[in-house]
Amino acid sequence: MSSTTTPEIQLTIDGKAVSVPAGTTIFDAARINGIPIPTLCHQQNENPVGVCRVCVVDVGQRVYAASCIRQAEAGMTVKTATDQVHAARHTLIELLMSDHPAPCARQQHSGDCELEHLAANAGITEPRFPRRTTPRGKDDSSAVIAVDHESCILCDRCIRGCDDIRHNWVLARRGKGYQTGIAFDNNLPMGESSCVSCGECMVSCPTGALTNKRVVGTELGQGDVLDPAELLHLPIFENVSGTFLELNQKAVVKRRFRAGEIICREGEFGSTAFYILEGSAEVYLASPIAHVKTEGSSSGFFSRLKSMLSPREEDHRSEESYRPFIPIDASVDLPYENPIAELGPGEMFGEMTCMSYYPRSATVRAKTDCAMLEMLRNVLDILQRNKTFRAQLERNYRVRALDSHLRSVPIFAPLTKDFVDHLRDRVELLRFSPGQVICRQGDPADSFYLIRIGFVKVSEEKLGGELVLAYLARGGYFGEIALLTGSPRNATCTALDHVEVVRISAEDFQLMLDKFPDIRHSLEGTAHERLEENRRRAIRTENVPVDQFLAQGLMEAQSLLVLDLERCTRCDQCVRACADAHDGVSRLVREGLRFDKYLVATSCRQCRDPLCMVGCPVGSIRRRNTLEVIIEDWCIGCGLCANNCPYGNINLHPFPVEVDDPAHPGRQIASVKVKATSCDLCHDHAEPSCVYACPHDAAHRVNPPEFFANIIQPHNAATKTRN
Amino acid sequence: MIVLVLATAVYVAYSVRSIHGPRGGSALGLTYGIVGFSFMLFAGLLGLRKKFPIWRVGRAQSWMRGHLWLGFLSFPLILFHGGFHFGGQLTRVLMWLFIFVFVSGILGALLQHFMPRVYTAQLPMETIYEQIDRVRGQLAEEAVRLVEEACSALEGEVSHASELQRATSAGAGKMGGLTVASGLQADEEVSAQLRNFLNGEMLPYLNRAGAEGMSLSVAAQARTMFQQLRILLPQNLHSSVDDLENICEEKRQLDRQTRLHKLLHGWLLVHIPLSYALLLLGAVHAVMALKF
Amino acid sequence: MLRRSRTTKKLAKRIDLQYFTRPHVFRRWRFWLSVAVPVIALGWFVTQRAQGGQKVYSSGPLAASHAVFTQQCSLCHVARAGNFATQVSDEACLTCHDAPVHHANQSFKPACSSCHVEHKGSRLLSATSDSSCSQCHADLQTRDGQPHYVASIKKFAGDHPEFSPLRTGRRDPGKIKFNHYIHLQHQLMGPNNTRVGMSCDDCHRISKGNEEWPYAASLDVSREGKSVPQGLKPAALSNSGGTAEAVPFPSGSPLPVMDTREEGQSRPQWRYIEPPTFGQNCAACHTLQFDKRFGNDQVPHEKPEVIHAFLLKRFAEYIATHPEAVHEVSPPDRQIPEKSRLPRVARNASEWIQFRAEDAEWLLWTKTCKQCHTLNSTEGQLPIVASSNLTTRWLQHAQFDHQAHGMMTCTSCHTNTEKSRETSDVLLPGVQTCQQCHRDDKPRESAEARCFECHQYHDWTKTKRTREKFTIPQLRGVARLETR
Repeated sequence: MSSTTTPEIQLTIDGKAVSVPAGTTIFDAARINGIPIPTLCHQQNENPVGVCRVCVVDVGQRVYAASCIRQAEAGMTVKTATDQVHAARHTLIELLMSDHPAPCARQQHSGDCELEHLAANAGITEPRFPRRTTPRGKDDSSAVIAVDHESCILCDRCIRGCDDIRHNWVLARRGKGYQTGIAFDNNLPMGESSCVSCGECMVSCPTGALTNKRVVGTELGQGDVLDPAELLHLPIFENVSGTFLELNQKAVVKRRFRAGEIICREGEFGSTAFYILEGSAEVYLASPIAHVKTEGSSSGFFSRLKSMLSPREEDHRSEESYRPFIPIDASVDLPYENPIAELGPGEMFGEMTCMSYYPRSATVRAKTDCAMLEMLRNVLDILQRNKTFRAQLERNYRVRALDSHLRSVPIFAPLTKDFVDHLRDRVELLRFSPGQVICRQGDPADSFYLIRIGFVKVSEEKLGGELVLAYLARGGYFGEIALLTGSPRNATCTALDHVEVVRISAEDFQLMLDKFPDIRHSLEGTAHERLEENRRRAIRTENVPVDQFLAQGLMEAQSLLVLDLERCTRCDQCVRACADAHDGVSRLVREGLRFDKYLVATSCRQCRDPLCMVGCPVGSIRRRNTLEVIIEDWCIGCGLCANNCPYGNINLHPFPVEVDDPAHPGRQIASVKVKATSCDLCHDHAEPSCVYACPHDAAHRVNPPEFFANIIQPHNAATKTRN
Repeated sequence: MIVLVLATAVYVAYSVRSIHGPRGGSALGLTYGIVGFSFMLFAGLLGLRKKFPIWRVGRAQSWMRGHLWLGFLSFPLILFHGGFHFGGQLTRVLMWLFIFVFVSGILGALLQHFMPRVYTAQLPMETIYEQIDRVRGQLAEEAVRLVEEACSALEGEVSHASELQRATSAGAGKMGGLTVASGLQADEEVSAQLRNFLNGEMLPYLNRAGAEGMSLSVAAQARTMFQQLRILLPQNLHSSVDDLENICEEKRQLDRQTRLHKLLHGWLLVHIPLSYALLLLGAVHAVMALKF
Repeated sequence: MLRRSRTTKKLAKRIDLQYFTRPHVFRRWRFWLSVAVPVIALGWFVTQRAQGGQKVYSSGPLAASHAVFTQQCSLCHVARAGNFATQVSDEACLTCHDAPVHHANQSFKPACSSCHVEHKGSRLLSATSDSSCSQCHADLQTRDGQPHYVASIKKFAGDHPEFSPLRTGRRDPGKIKFNHYIHLQHQLMGPNNTRVGMSCDDCHRISKGNEEWPYAASLDVSREGKSVPQGLKPAALSNSGGTAEAVPFPSGSPLPVMDTREEGQSRPQWRYIEPPTFGQNCAACHTLQFDKRFGNDQVPHEKPEVIHAFLLKRFAEYIATHPEAVHEVSPPDRQIPEKSRLPRVARNASEWIQFRAEDAEWLLWTKTCKQCHTLNSTEGQLPIVASSNLTTRWLQHAQFDHQAHGMMTCTSCHTNTEKSRETSDVLLPGVQTCQQCHRDDKPRESAEARCFECHQYHDWTKTKRTREKFTIPQLRGVARLETR
């Protein structure tokens, strides 16, 4: 309330006479006159709410008044420090401390938990009151802010900061009584909510309820640390809390690169993303495009003779899915024939590495002198939620990548430039956080999705559990079946990690199909295949398996390499044969758990639910239509698939290559690159080499439910009768 | 089988009718000799076949069966060839070599038939033979780690204690108060005893390739020892003792595997070199016999 | 509660992926042994070769007679150009040996090595198996049609035909009348009026030893006037075993050459019974007195002409010293029944000689000589005495060694002898007698019954002399001998 003349009023505070303008709160009045009153829920840049009652003072009335919200009245006698007031505050603090996990996160990190400060000042070490028995929980979903409801004192500061200061309207209270707490949106996890990670709530919180998340390697070694003020000048950091930036000062640095300098190498692990401020950079794949199992064409008499002895059928993999583009972690895709692209100012790369700790998917080299921002996850998260940045990102995407992205899906190859232009502005880029459902089984279908980054799990709810149908990676698409058939969604698509999808609305989709009947035709074909495969899988899983069978994950497998231990003489011929067929590197290890009298060898099981495929930064591990999981020749050797495989079936092997000698430019030296290998069922031979080479007929590649049917089925019959 | 019957019939007829009994040099004797030697050559080629396992020249299994059958048949054929006589020096040596090779081959075939079952039944924790040393080293490391954890818990240091141990004491109050109300007694003496056990008994046992003379190599004795350990240690360290016992059991099985493996593969050390010698001298014999 | 868990990934991770490429104790041993053992075998072989020449290739030790060539295979195993010789060629054998043909009409000639099998150890090379012979003789064919012999003989026991002299209808062709039965009686009148009992070997002996003939003449002028000293030794054993040269009697039918065996020789030589001679075996009892005047003087056991001359001479000597005897009248000494002869008185000495000679001859030709010989005497002429035709060798295609059978009594095989009263009886033992010991059902418990024991393949009558060919260094291998 502003008025030109504000009458002054007089009152007494602690025996001191003060004169303040009318409407001033007691707290402000005391503050102006140098009398401190402890507060908790009051923050000066926010409207007071008076919920904590720590600032109570004796105003000579029946109850003490909360000084932060009580306006001073003329002639008030305020006593801020009487014994009773102290006792009241003491009790209050003690009550608050009894539920407080001392030392809380804030106290541990920065030592400035206001509640504990107060407690220390009041001399409270052990509260008399018992602790609450039910935990209130934590929320780790946000990338930048850690939520610990245990520490929350419901002071409302965050809510006021989010609503009143930043106008994001994300935070609110929920619940009643002892169950009260703060909530984001409709009590969503913070990371899934519409929170924009501005950091205001965290800055406002007095306790450890909302703290700045410490990201691994918070300190970036190289580069110039930027002043938050400079950062705020950048358009992309508009509307980001300055304090927040200050807190995360070391999480973003500016780096300069000379022309020709390598910025990052493919396969390396990292945790930072880069945003180009000036200059341009080349992004390419430095690994040779070659399979780990390479056998060149037979030149020379003897090698031709030898190749007659071990005949290989032609490698048909190219027929199945022709991928003209290799998806990488940037706003462009690399064409297969010449995997080089260029990035300019305003473009970002390394997002997946930064957010989900995937290895770098390509090598980036500065083409001209560049200046870049290198940032950690928290800063990236800020950016990604920032509206300005998002707008820029989407614009970039539409201009540069949408075309190639669409075209990299072979079905959409016939799209004309006009249509892509038409689509350009009508597509929507959506972000999903890990675990978030993109579309649910049974929902009406209204969109078609293309995956820009991240991994999506396509699964179906069945009696007995969830059946994973597929994992889709960048360049994959989903949602077309329901659009084509007009029925509700037949599967649930869930984001496995931070996923960004391009959403094309149903109308545009129909338009596309109408204009390009070829696309419709191939889409329908794919849809049909997918449905068929789903149906087949459903039939296969109707066997109720035995405990151990399940426990070892054998039910997941579609093809097992089993060694009959009553015939195997442990002669290692299978291993040698595998190595022979694959350039000296064996894809099979003769070790593993036993099932019945068989040893389930460590060799790719062609799982229904191929966990290995999740996370490949260049999408080189994929599944052919005939089951085999193969690793394409552009594997960059990051090792993620090897980690993911729960059975250890994927291994990394060194691969000798010629690389440019850094010491002598222009020359090449021998070096070793690492690539991932896994059993590919010897698809270019008539039967797997290991089975072929076993002299005792002990090695078999089998389909587990059929092979072990007579072991499982009798048990199955028993369980069925029990049910 | 038919071949064998046929060959026997022919031989019987031949030996009855021929003058002075069957001879290696006569036409039929030569036939027997050549056929028998060619069988032996094929049998010898199995080794070569195994060097190139992926060449599509016939399944390894077919070659193996061929090896067994033809090798088996070559024995009576060569006997027929020589007319059951041993002949001169070279042929005597050859015959003895052949007998050894044949017998060792039969023995090996039997071993390969029966041993895998023994293996499977007795060695639930078997591993790859060539890696036993490495696995053993890993077992030793694991044992050391386990004992370190337990000892640290006994000595009151929280940092080395495992998650489980901490979890069991989580309800005991202070985070740092592991020694309070959690049942873990700080006991230096027990910890020292445990370390002694590790260094004195387990590590020597685990690091040794064989098992002679070590008390832990006998299952009953080991059980007793570990039972004593259990009495010694407090309740929530019993899981560590169980793990140590399991490690010893695995080591026992690895030792047994070594023994069985040597048995299963040892005969090859006789069979293969002798068969090379046999083929070599047989070639010499063939050349010289035909030359004369 | 066990905290250790076994998962596939954990198990797999503890394995080093290149384990099978690395050398392992076992594989190394296998490899090195596979190298070492053949090398040792080869080394053994090479040393054997160095020490023993080519002996190491031999398929068995050589027969004793060839043992000296053990280390030189090429002496026999001659490599023919362009040919993998599987058997030793005949030419190689013929380098040293002579192998006369068996029979001109044999339908095929078996190779030397098909019967004489070497490399079977030290034994007689000529000890061939029956099948060597029965390859022809089991079904005998000759080049010019029917064989003269039994067409099928496979082995000795049961299959061998009866010996040819014993086949029905055969008789002893001898012309000396002899009755075995009488001579084997006891209490025969012996020399010097003693009673004797004879045994077989008083007349029949294999030609060996220095024993006296008990019934030999003490003084035998049978050799053309040369007196044979007392204790007549058996006729000097010439190489030809007592046939034509030793005994003046003509021998039987022509025989293939036989070899006699001396001690220590390795080739079997066949010992036959010496044919009995008058001087050795008969003279002591069967005296040849001719006239009382001369007492016990005997005529020589010679041809009639010689006897005639002898008689004339003796009578002439007598009458010269006893001229008065011309006029004696005395009856002849002996009266031969039915053939009485009147005494004749001579007129003069010459007539007396003639009459007395005639008387003596009449006694001799009609009684004394005729007792044994078959002769035709006509009055006034010298008789014609049939040749004695003693068969000294009955089995003409087989060999028989009495020495080897010397431990047996004569009559155990010659079973007919004691009953034989006729000269024409053939006293040869039949094949069944032989088959009692020479059986082939239990070859190691019987006497040798294979063909070679009695028969010979090569016709040694046609043998040629072995050509000299080698020097000692050549034979012993210092210089290799390359034959044609």
